[in-house]
Amino acid sequence: MNRKQQFKEGLITNNPVLVQQIGMCATMAITTTLFNGVGMGLSVLIILTCCNVVVAALRKIIPDEIRLAIFVVVIAGFVTIVDLLLQAFIPALSAALGVFIPLIVVNCIIIGRAEAFCQKNTVKDSFFDGIFQGLGYTCVLIIMCVFRELVGSGRFGGGLIDIANGFRFTLDGTGGGIQIFPEEFGMSIMNLPFGGFLTLGLLIGLMQYALKRSEKKKKEADRAAKEAAALKEVEE
Amino acid sequence: MNKILKLSLVLFVICAVTAGILGVVNALTWERIDQITHQKEYEAYAAVLPSDSGYTAVEFDKSAFPTVDSVNQSNDGNGYVVTSTFSGAQGSITMACGVDTGLKCTGISIIEHSETSGLGAVAASTSAAGEAFRAQFVGQDAGIALSKAGGSIDALAGATITSNAVTNATATSIECVASLG
Repeated sequence: MNRKQQFKEGLITNNPVLVQQIGMCATMAITTTLFNGVGMGLSVLIILTCCNVVVAALRKIIPDEIRLAIFVVVIAGFVTIVDLLLQAFIPALSAALGVFIPLIVVNCIIIGRAEAFCQKNTVKDSFFDGIFQGLGYTCVLIIMCVFRELVGSGRFGGGLIDIANGFRFTLDGTGGGIQIFPEEFGMSIMNLPFGGFLTLGLLIGLMQYALKRSEKKKKEADRAAKEAAALKEVEE
Repeated sequence: MNKILKLSLVLFVICAVTAGILGVVNALTWERIDQITHQKEYEAYAAVLPSDSGYTAVEFDKSAFPTVDSVNQSNDGNGYVVTSTFSGAQGSITMACGVDTGLKCTGISIIEHSETSGLGAVAASTSAAGEAFRAQFVGQDAGIALSKAGGSIDALAGATITSNAVTNATATSIECVASLG
């Protein structure tokens, strides 16, 4: 399988959130600071990749009738592992994401990829599928976080970047971020769930527009090429 | 029949392996998680009622104060720290409230919450607004109430439900200590 194609699919043409439109609940709920977005994105990426590999490895012995039950067991297992590790080693992230880490169990991206991709493909392909789809998810989260944080509270990189004592990255969520304009001037509605809906809606709209446009362009280019070929034939 | 047996067996084996792996991860992490939880609690206690010699949990009437989780007497003899879990605007809030021997609040600290970021969450934040909100609770007695209700606590802007919940929990904490006699 073509890795480049897979990469493009995960990030753009078959992006889990913007095109497949799955796993949107957590997307809207947690994208309030960059720290949360990056943490959630990476957690999903890790869980998705692990689950993809295991499901693909077991695809020959998983009976069709109980495949969903087995997917859920595998996913719940990995989610619990990540949840425990986060609680033990990055407690700030665990506190910030709260219930949304355990809720990855029912995140449609993971069960969706297991069902649609891993049970028909090799371990290696599934591994890359997990990485690329996870990256696609993370990118959407990051875009949403940056937008909502900036408009909502005038900040960039909350929790992740600290400039109080020189520029540094804080992995424990204590960084105050870079204040671009005073917090009082932010539209705090963007920090609320409504802001999540609005941002996600705008992003999906933009993505669909861009995809349609590039499709149209491709069609036009095809037609032009055909016409040129036909013209050439006539000339000859 | 054979088919059902086979399906159950596959599912059983996969569940068993998953459970085994989880057991190992849990064994590796529980100590650290436990430590972090305790440390968080201890920091919250120390923030509301400093004590050099630690705290001892005491018995209280759980049926009369269902939201109260624990009452801890300071070994310095300067009061109690009451932890309680109650509902806020979005989910439950866990809070530590210090009460001195004169039944006055010595401070509150929110340990866990899921309030709206920028509104209710300010009650727990380290920002100036959050500090100012919590500072209002110091010195209050069991008659504590929001200024709307005739008391002296100014609610956080846009977060009346959170402010009210925290205020009521403070009153409950003081009453709970009073009931100890």
